[in-house]
Amino acid sequence: MRKLVSLVACTLSLAFLPIVPAAAQTIAVTNAEAWTMDGDTPVPDATILIEQGRIVSVTAGGAAPADATIIDAGGKPVTPGLVNGATQIGLVEISGSPDTSDTGSAHERSPGNDVSLALNGKSTLVSLARADGLTRALIYPSPSRHAPFSGEPAFARLRDGADILDVANVGVYAVIGGGKWDRIGSRGVQWTVLREALDDAKRKLGSHSSDNRKKRGKASVAAAETSGDESGQELLRDVLQGEAPLAIQTNRETDIRQAIKLASDYDITVIIVGGDEAWRVADMLAAANIAVVLDPSANIPRSFDELGVRQDNAAILAAAGVRIAVGQAGGNIHTNYNAGMGLREAAGLAVANGLPYIDALRAVTLNPLEIWGRDGGRLVPGAEADLVVWDGDPLEPSTLARHVILEGRETETRSRQDLLAERYLAEHNRDAR
Amino acid sequence: MSMKRIGLIAGVAAALIGAGSAIAQQTGDGPWQQDPYPSRYQAPPADDMLLRGATILDGAGGRIDGGDLLLRGGKIVAVGKGLANPGVREIDARGRWVTPGIIDVHTHSGTWVMPLTAIDHRASDVSEVATPNAADTWIETAVNPQDMAFDRALMNGVTTMQILPGSVPIFAGRSAVVKPVRGATVWDMKAVGGVQGFKMACGENPKSWGADDDNEGPTSRQGVISYMRQTFLDAQAYKQAVERARAGRGDMPPRDLKLESVAGILAGDIRVNLHCYRAGDIAAVLSVAKEFGFRIGAIHHATEAYKIPDLLRESGTCAAVWADWWGFKVEAQDAVRAGAPLLERAGVCVMMHSDSASDGQRLNIAAAKAAAAGRRIGIETPPETMIKWTTSNPASLLGLENRVGTLAPGLQADVVLWSGNPFSIYSRADMVLIDGAIAWDRSNPPVAPISDFELGRGGVVP
Repeated sequence: MRKLVSLVACTLSLAFLPIVPAAAQTIAVTNAEAWTMDGDTPVPDATILIEQGRIVSVTAGGAAPADATIIDAGGKPVTPGLVNGATQIGLVEISGSPDTSDTGSAHERSPGNDVSLALNGKSTLVSLARADGLTRALIYPSPSRHAPFSGEPAFARLRDGADILDVANVGVYAVIGGGKWDRIGSRGVQWTVLREALDDAKRKLGSHSSDNRKKRGKASVAAAETSGDESGQELLRDVLQGEAPLAIQTNRETDIRQAIKLASDYDITVIIVGGDEAWRVADMLAAANIAVVLDPSANIPRSFDELGVRQDNAAILAAAGVRIAVGQAGGNIHTNYNAGMGLREAAGLAVANGLPYIDALRAVTLNPLEIWGRDGGRLVPGAEADLVVWDGDPLEPSTLARHVILEGRETETRSRQDLLAERYLAEHNRDAR
Repeated sequence: MSMKRIGLIAGVAAALIGAGSAIAQQTGDGPWQQDPYPSRYQAPPADDMLLRGATILDGAGGRIDGGDLLLRGGKIVAVGKGLANPGVREIDARGRWVTPGIIDVHTHSGTWVMPLTAIDHRASDVSEVATPNAADTWIETAVNPQDMAFDRALMNGVTTMQILPGSVPIFAGRSAVVKPVRGATVWDMKAVGGVQGFKMACGENPKSWGADDDNEGPTSRQGVISYMRQTFLDAQAYKQAVERARAGRGDMPPRDLKLESVAGILAGDIRVNLHCYRAGDIAAVLSVAKEFGFRIGAIHHATEAYKIPDLLRESGTCAAVWADWWGFKVEAQDAVRAGAPLLERAGVCVMMHSDSASDGQRLNIAAAKAAAAGRRIGIETPPETMIKWTTSNPASLLGLENRVGTLAPGLQADVVLWSGNPFSIYSRADMVLIDGAIAWDRSNPPVAPISDFELGRGGVVP
């Protein structure tokens, strides 16, 4: 079976890969413990039928068509493909070498940084994350020269090949905090500048005719050019019109309270990224319907903004009814270099610290998609077929992703690391003879 | 400064602070064996107990299902099945796991102290970077014991930590080995009985520093290796002069703190922990060690050690590795998660290390990730082997193998009672014992923060 599968994967990787898979094969995943994310418990002994890139059915004990490629899950868990709520894979290869990194803008005049234009699916960080079960990810920019903005994040879909763009310009990304912006200083000024930018966009919104409303996605850059705006400014109008979220990466309780007030004052959708002290205002966040993308592994404050950091942040927020997703998981190195494994480990830690298991699974599948305005993250009829067959509990770092199916196709799950390990294992065996 | 005067100063200082026996300790013949900063660590009264019915991984490769562990007077008394209780507190450990305390041989806790502030970026205590040779420095003179990273490590089963200087200098200075217990100074935490450690570095970090116009030092890999050889040559001459003087064949050379430390390496009294990534870098330094007749304790990070297991095995040098730090710099491109199982299988002494206050809380999870990557290429590693990577192998590197790292009669009772399989992300350290005293009890956590830093800041614990 393994040989057959790798043969299929090989053939696929040679084929031209259009965005919408043409005549993808019929796959039946049998004998699965299917975590559909529709309910709180898995469907036991499920057969998941996949045709034309979509899930046709998920049925307990269901039969597989004769022409289907069978993947026997062996009673092990099958989940929707994992989704990282905040990472920078596809933008960075060697973080220590700026010439291989496209995370941040150094543009003096434009506040924009549309990361979708830089995404590279051939990165070794991407293939490793996919091998660890990651199928989609929110890709965020690093701080620009225009406080407090970083730019415009994009959603990636980790299909084989260079083009991993799912959708561009899914929001506006800002950073607020102590010492974050040397050029303008105090966080008080940071909030003021952010409000001024929103006020400015609001004025322009009023002066623009209603037919100038921009389309979402790749169109924003073109729209910005035609409207005479610097890139990045156009999207703020989408934020004001409730069509895109404003993500604010911030951690201190006072800043999270400011973010809640900002969301209310401008009637906009705000996402908190980081949110180490969010647990202190869990009820306020729930009432304001503000989601938090967080790292459940954090338990030591990296700065004075994070003195209240605690590992049950996720559990407290979820219990209060705040929608949470896992992102920037594991801190600096893991956030990007282990965007799949770090996500799983952090979600597992959240469970170890009181988050119900199903909530942790949602925080790495459904929730990040919903928070950033995307569909998917469920194993239900009609859904695009992104799913992972595991050899154990997906939140255990010791578990391996056996099959990663993306848009209905089985993808390559051997990373460059596997190839190196196999090469030297063979050498060791030869030396031993 | 003469040895006599140093001893005098230390003696006066000891008298002033009423530290009793705290005078410079002479542990051997060489001047490099003097410890001007003696430990003041004192084990608290022991909590004698019998852990009953646990899955025991003894750290030496053994596993006992339904096993008992008897601890008395701070020592391990017996490990086995159906042990008789001599009248001590008995803990029902059925369904739970017991291992030796976790040992992290690579941390910067106490010097890379979070929360970081501007002073850490301007003048960090992680390394002394005035010159590439900081062999005279002792990292313990910088360690801030109020770093909450020590508390977080303890709560997660870590009982011994080696604090290393950073990897900017080529000769970075002496390490310190501590227990993560509360103290006003690092010397209240300092572990005794091991071999003095030392940090060296090769590759990108030292050469990048040297390449900056403002800094002293070589700018290339070959320059770094050559700098090492010249320094060892100088130390060799110094050591020979000391030995001649001892034999009555000449005057004792003036003390030189840098040469002294490096001479200690040559004498085998000080053990090198070498920061090195690429196979070629590792091999070059192993050649230098051979040339000067000493053994390197461990290659740290060692991201390409899996390419040269024979060289490490022949040198008697261990590898201290991450599971999954890779890629962030050019020399880390070829790191693989399966490094530890590949090295274990090839007969190399291997261990997990953290270099991180966050990852240092989960060295067993690092082992689990490494073992899983091994499984991908057909190498199966059982839990009783994995636990060696975080207990007995690091204990040997620190020269503490006869004190900690293994559950065997007579050894110090550094023990962790885990809520479940220690390689599961869901398992917690229910109880951590250091020298047989309960240092952390999850069912009875302290009411106030352990670290002075956290006290009264309105953090997690009020």
